Amino acid sequence: MNDPRKAAEYGVDALLKAGADKAQCHLTRIEKHELNVISGEMSLLRTTFDTHIRLIAIKDGKKGSTTINKSDPDSVKRGAAEALAIAQASVPDEANDMAEGQPAARFVSGSESPDRDNMYYRMKELLETIRERYPALLLLQAFLDFTREDTYVVNSNGVDFSALKGVYHCTAVFSAKEDGKVSSFNGTSVAMRDLRTPLIECGSIDRLMLETTEQIHTRPVPGKFTGDVIIAPDCLGDMLAFLDDSIRDRALISGTSVYKDSLNQLIASPLLSLHARPVSDEICDGYFITSDGYSAQNSTIVDRGFLRTFLLSLYGSRKTGKTRAVNDGGAYVVDPGETPLDEMVKSVDRGLLLVRFSGGNPNENGDFSGVAKNSYFIENGQVKYPISETMISGNLAECYRNVRAVSRERVNYGYAVFPWVAVSGVTISGK
Amino acid sequence: MDRLDLKAYAGLFKTYTELRVQENRTIQISFVKGSNTVNVRSATSGVSARAYHNGSWGFASSPELTQDAIVAVIKQATENALFLDSRERREKGPLPVSVVSSENDFSTKKQRLGQKELVGFVRQIDDEIARRYPKLASRTVILRCLDMEKTLLTSDGSYSHSMIPRSQIHILLSVEKDGAPVELMDSYGGLGQFEDVFESPSSLWEGIERQYEHLMKKSEGVFAEAGVKTCVLDAELAGILAHEAIGHTCEADLVMGGSVAGDWIGKEVASPLVTLVDFANTALGQTCPVPVYVDDEGTRAEDVVIIEKGVLKSFLHNKESARHFGAEPKGNARAFLFSDEPLIRMRNTAILPGTSKLEDMIASVDDGYYLIKPSNGQADLTSEFMFGVTLGYEIKGGKLRRAIKDTTISGVAFDMLKTVSMVSNEMKWLSHGMCGKKQNIPVGMGGPAIKCRVTIGGR
Repeated sequence: MNDPRKAAEYGVDALLKAGADKAQCHLTRIEKHELNVISGEMSLLRTTFDTHIRLIAIKDGKKGSTTINKSDPDSVKRGAAEALAIAQASVPDEANDMAEGQPAARFVSGSESPDRDNMYYRMKELLETIRERYPALLLLQAFLDFTREDTYVVNSNGVDFSALKGVYHCTAVFSAKEDGKVSSFNGTSVAMRDLRTPLIECGSIDRLMLETTEQIHTRPVPGKFTGDVIIAPDCLGDMLAFLDDSIRDRALISGTSVYKDSLNQLIASPLLSLHARPVSDEICDGYFITSDGYSAQNSTIVDRGFLRTFLLSLYGSRKTGKTRAVNDGGAYVVDPGETPLDEMVKSVDRGLLLVRFSGGNPNENGDFSGVAKNSYFIENGQVKYPISETMISGNLAECYRNVRAVSRERVNYGYAVFPWVAVSGVTISGK
Repeated sequence: MDRLDLKAYAGLFKTYTELRVQENRTIQISFVKGSNTVNVRSATSGVSARAYHNGSWGFASSPELTQDAIVAVIKQATENALFLDSRERREKGPLPVSVVSSENDFSTKKQRLGQKELVGFVRQIDDEIARRYPKLASRTVILRCLDMEKTLLTSDGSYSHSMIPRSQIHILLSVEKDGAPVELMDSYGGLGQFEDVFESPSSLWEGIERQYEHLMKKSEGVFAEAGVKTCVLDAELAGILAHEAIGHTCEADLVMGGSVAGDWIGKEVASPLVTLVDFANTALGQTCPVPVYVDDEGTRAEDVVIIEKGVLKSFLHNKESARHFGAEPKGNARAFLFSDEPLIRMRNTAILPGTSKLEDMIASVDDGYYLIKPSNGQADLTSEFMFGVTLGYEIKGGKLRRAIKDTTISGVAFDMLKTVSMVSNEMKWLSHGMCGKKQNIPVGMGGPAIKCRVTIGGR
C-alpha cells in the first residue's frame, strides 16, 4: 500500500474486524542516506528504506501487539490477526488502554530530502580539517546520514496524527597515536537540521578531537581520595540515566525506584533543572507523538532540585495511579548555571574533569563505580594532565544532591543540551 | 520466511556484490510483579545488496521482497559504489575470493507453541517465584526469543542459508534492605527455539533457588575495598574479558584505528596459561551459542586463535582488512538486520580451560574476591577494560566470606593477563551476549575461571 496514511487506517480497520475492542496503528516509513568513513577513508555510501508498523489490540482488557515492516494489505491483515491472538493469550489488566481522541494534527520538522552533494562536501571537509588540525588523530569510524521519517498514528478512539521529520546525524569515533603510544578512543554524535555549519564545529566534535590528541600520554591519579568531579556535557547524559530509569514504568510498577515517593520533593541541588523538550526549537531531533499516541509536549522533570513529574506511560500511569507523563522523556535540556567553566575548574582543590565514564550500570539504589576515561586530573584549581587507570565511585542520587555548580556554557547536540556540572563527594582512586 | 531464488538475480551483478535476504523474528513477554507488562512479537525482513568497486562500497536495502525491489537494491548499491568511486578514486584491487555453499537450520522439529502457551509458561515461573519467596520486594520475568534467518548469494558464487535462533529467560529478583532495593539478575537459555531450550518451568527452579540464595547474601553485602586485588574471576567474567578486553582490540578495523594490539603480533601478551580463541561454530566438540558457518561476505567461518599460550597470533578480519594485512579472512563479517552492512564481529570468544580446580583456586587466595556475575562491560584501544560485577564474595584466608555489593573491575587487559596464575578446568558459555558496534549482534562468550590481579572499585 503506497499511501502510508491509508495503510495505518487499514491497520486499525483490520484490528477491529479481527475482533479488537480498541485498536491502534503506528506506521513509520524511514529513508536513510548515509556516508561512511572507515579507518579514515570515505568508503561506503548507503541508501536504505524500511517501514515499521506497530499494531496494538485490546480485547476484553487484554493487550497484544505485533511489529511488522510490510505495508501491503495481506501483511497488515496477518499482523492484525497476530496482534489479536497475542492479546487473547495475554492476562487481563484494567490498566490496559489507548490514547483518547485528540484534535487531528500534522507536524513537520526539517528537510524532506538530503543534500547529497553537501553531505559529501561536509564529510570531505571534516577529513581535511582533521588532517590539518590534528595529524595524530585516527578516525576509526564516522558517518553522516540524512534520515527522513514519515509517521502516522491512528486509533479507534479518533487519534489521527502524522509527522514528517528530516534530520542529519553525524557520529565520529576516534583515537590518537604518536610514537607507538595510543590514546583511549572517544566518540560523539550530533543531530542537525541542515548542513550550514562545518561538522567539526557541531556539538563537541572539535573539543573532543583536540582532547584526544592530548590524551596519548596519560598518568593514573595518585592515591585514593574524595573529591570534586566536573561532569562534561558529553558524559552528563550517562549520569542522568539513573534518574531517567528510576521514574519510568518498570521501576515504579515494581516499586523499586528510590524516587517512588519523591514527587514534588527536593531530590537534587536547587542548581539543577532538567527538562524534556521533544518539541522545542533547540532540539532538532525530538519527536511529536508519544509511543502511546499522544501529542508530545515539553515538560520540566526537575525544577531547581524538585522532582516535578514521573515518566509514566498510559499503562504505567493507570497501574500506579499516578499522572501520565506528557512525553516519553529524552530530548533533555539542563538549564545553564551562572558559573563560567573556568571558574568551576579554579574552585576545585583536587578532583577530575570527567569527559567519558565507562562503568557498570548503577544499581537501583544509585551506587555506581567505573573508569574515568578521556578525563583530566584537576589540582589547586588547574587542569593538570590526562589520566588513565583511575576509577570513580559514589551514589548518583547523592551526586544529584551534591551539585555545587552548573556552567554558563552549554553544548547543543541536537538531541540534548547540556552544561558542565560540578559535584562533590565522589571517591576517586588511582594508583 | 519464504525462500527466494537469489541465483536468478546473479546476472544483474556488475561488480563484486553480496545479495542478502533476511528476516529477524522476535518474541518478548514480560511480567513485572505479576503484571503482564509486555506481550509482543515482531518480524523484520527485507533484501539488501552491497557492491564493491575499486575500494568503494555501495549498499542499499528495501523491506519489500518483490522482484522489482530486489532489482532496485542491486542497482542502487551498484550506483552508490560507482558514485563514491567517481569522487574518491581509492584504486584498491579486488577482494579475496571465497566460494562456499552451506545450509544450517536450527529450527525446532517440535510442534511450535502458541503465544498463550508461552505467556502461560512465563506466568507459571512468575507465580512460583511469588509463592516460594515471599520476602522478595519485586520480581521481573522476561522471555526473549530471536530467530535470525538469512539467505546470501555473492558474485563469487558463495551461497548460504542459515536459521540461528536464541531463546532466553531473564529473571530479576529484588529485596529491600534498610529501605533500599538490592537486586540480582540471572539469565537462562541459549541457542535454539523456545521448544528446544525450555522443557518446563520446573527446569528453572534449581537455578532460581541459587539466584535467590545469592541475593539474600548480597542484601547483607559490604562494599568491596577499592584497589588492586587478587581475584578469581568466574567463567562469565572470564568470557566477557575475552570478548571486551582482548577480542575488540584484535578486530582489524580497531587495529587500523590504533589498537595497542597492532604492534604485538608474535609477542608475549599474556601468561602462558592463556589461550584465547574466537570459535566459529564448534568448541571442544560442542556447538557454540552463536554458530556461524558462512559469514555475510560469503566466507567460510573458521576458528581464529587470537592468543596461543600467551603469544598474540591473529586479528579478526573481513575480506577488505584481510587483504590489507595479507591475512586470510575467516568469517568474521556479520550484519544484524537486513538493512545493515557486515562489520568485523566476534562470534564465540573464549579462553580455553586449564587444569586447576575452582575450589583450589579460591583456597589459594589469602585476601581477595571471587567474582561471579558481570553486568555490562566496555573496553578500549589501549586494552583498558571495565566490567560491572553484580555478584561476588570476599575471600579471606582461602575461604569465601561476605557477599559484596555491586562493583566494577578494571585494568589494562594485556597487563592483567600476564598476572594469570591459575586457570580452571571447567568451561562455561555466556549465551545471552549482545555486542554493540554501530549495530548490535548476538555473540557467545566463554571461559573457565581465572585467578589474576585486577583493580576493583568500591569505597
